[in-house]
Amino acid sequence: MAKLSRDDVLYLAQLARLDLSDGEVGSLLEELPQILEYVEKLQEVDTNGLKPTNQVTGLENVMRTDSTINYGYEAKDLLENVPEVRDDQIKVRRMV
Amino acid sequence: MRENSRYLPTIGIECHVQLKTVSKLFSGASNDSRDSKPNTNVNHIDFGLPGALPVLNTEALTLAVRAALALKTKPQLFSTFDRKHYFYPDLPMGYQITQYDNPIIKGGSVEFYVDGEKKTVGITRAHIEADAGKSTHPEGVNFSLVDLNRAGTPLLEIVSEPEMHSAAEAKAYAKELYLLMRYAGVTEGILYHGNMRFDVNVSVSKDGQLGTRSETKNLNSFRSVEKAVEYEIKRQIEVIESGNKVAQETRGWLDAKQRTITQRVKENADDYRYMPDPDLPPVTLDVRFVNEIEKSMPNTLSFWRNELKRLGLNEHQIEILIEANLDFNEANYLSLIQDFDSKGIDARQIANWLVNIDIPLAKETEGVLNSNRAIIYTVVAQLLRESKLSSTNSKELITQLLQLENLPEDIGKYAEDKGLLQQSDSNQIETIVDEVLKENPKAVEDIKSGEQKAIGFLIGQVMQRSKGQANPSLTKQIIENRLTKNSNF
Repeated sequence: MAKLSRDDVLYLAQLARLDLSDGEVGSLLEELPQILEYVEKLQEVDTNGLKPTNQVTGLENVMRTDSTINYGYEAKDLLENVPEVRDDQIKVRRMV
Repeated sequence: MRENSRYLPTIGIECHVQLKTVSKLFSGASNDSRDSKPNTNVNHIDFGLPGALPVLNTEALTLAVRAALALKTKPQLFSTFDRKHYFYPDLPMGYQITQYDNPIIKGGSVEFYVDGEKKTVGITRAHIEADAGKSTHPEGVNFSLVDLNRAGTPLLEIVSEPEMHSAAEAKAYAKELYLLMRYAGVTEGILYHGNMRFDVNVSVSKDGQLGTRSETKNLNSFRSVEKAVEYEIKRQIEVIESGNKVAQETRGWLDAKQRTITQRVKENADDYRYMPDPDLPPVTLDVRFVNEIEKSMPNTLSFWRNELKRLGLNEHQIEILIEANLDFNEANYLSLIQDFDSKGIDARQIANWLVNIDIPLAKETEGVLNSNRAIIYTVVAQLLRESKLSSTNSKELITQLLQLENLPEDIGKYAEDKGLLQQSDSNQIETIVDEVLKENPKAVEDIKSGEQKAIGFLIGQVMQRSKGQANPSLTKQIIENRLTKNSNF
């Protein structure tokens, strides 16, 4: 069975920008290896000679001409969904 | 650079080029936000709202094909889009759409000269991707602000082989790449607007052993590319000399302090969890599509350099014209030279005037000059040909005309009123010559006894009296005639 260390969990949490409590780290230490185990089952399938299935639609070259599009709403309506706006900008936790 | 010859620096450069499209890479928002308020050129696709479907902009593809041709290669006929995951406030989707396994460009090269020596740097790859939003960090507060107008701007990231070995080479590469992209019409290329941003990867190897590299990101001038590379080489040598190890990390450039600082420990490629983007079907290019773009390419950088060389201009003059043609594009310097050349007018003379008078003046006035250059240079060239203007005064006349808001109807008359035309009426010059000869018997004696130098002095006197308007060669001729034929002197 795949083994995960506490550091692995904390590293994944950092990549996902998640602030985990000690309890959450503990339960993830149990749950995440189970998920990996499930994925490992898939590895048993012989995929030799198969092309990766990146697309299932068979479409190609779906493109648009280079022009602006009116989607029928105001750009400022989008800011309605934002937790906090300041000077027309999206206010976020300090990054640097 | 060679402070310690045991160390060999190696430099690779990644350049993000913003493509000159009307709309964004995957959405119909405007791609020009220079005069827009924050978050106005945005829509559900740029905001990454659930269910929003990105659709590829054909023009971004066309411009990438042009870039491939400018980099002396052909675009890949099959390419695909992938998602690169990381979480940052300026990336609302939680992933960047880019090309990982099948980029639009594989291979190519950039050729340039450093200290007269030809250098060729290989291109590893170039891929199309969407730019992130722009964040600002106001002083003294605990928050940052995000503007998503830039989110979704089409970029071409051009990755060079690590084949440069000095700061000067890095700078020259960056500049040549800029010129190539501008002449191919791929980007607006305004560096201070961030239209081209350079990331430099620098490592130093000691006694042939490869070193660890650092990446300094987001340099937006050729000078900062040069300075950041210079700084990193020096810093890394110092780290190694003091017995420590260079850390693999991302660094930022502080222009005000002319130094780099640690920014973040970079995520590994695995951490980005690249995956094919299921929203974007693969792109296959038709060879005819590529050929058509090739045919419609604007005149290339090397075409113009060869043209100017053919006219007999030197490297220095050529590069000044090549750059000024971009910096003051409404002046159309290169087509102006080409027009004169095709009309059989001395195009080299015009090119010299542009380099010595027009371009310095354009820099001084930030390009605010009279735009009727075709008329100005045609008339001045003609007045010079007819010996009505001295070469000094032709420069003066050009300088004056370029700074007029409206050109005078009769430029010849204007030049005459300003006292710039030279006197080629021999009667008038003869009168002045006679006066001068009378007043300078000593010089006359000298010439008669074979002191030819004195003739220069006399010509000078005539020029002075005529306020610079006497045609010097005509004056010389008259003086010589007088002294040989007229015994009065």
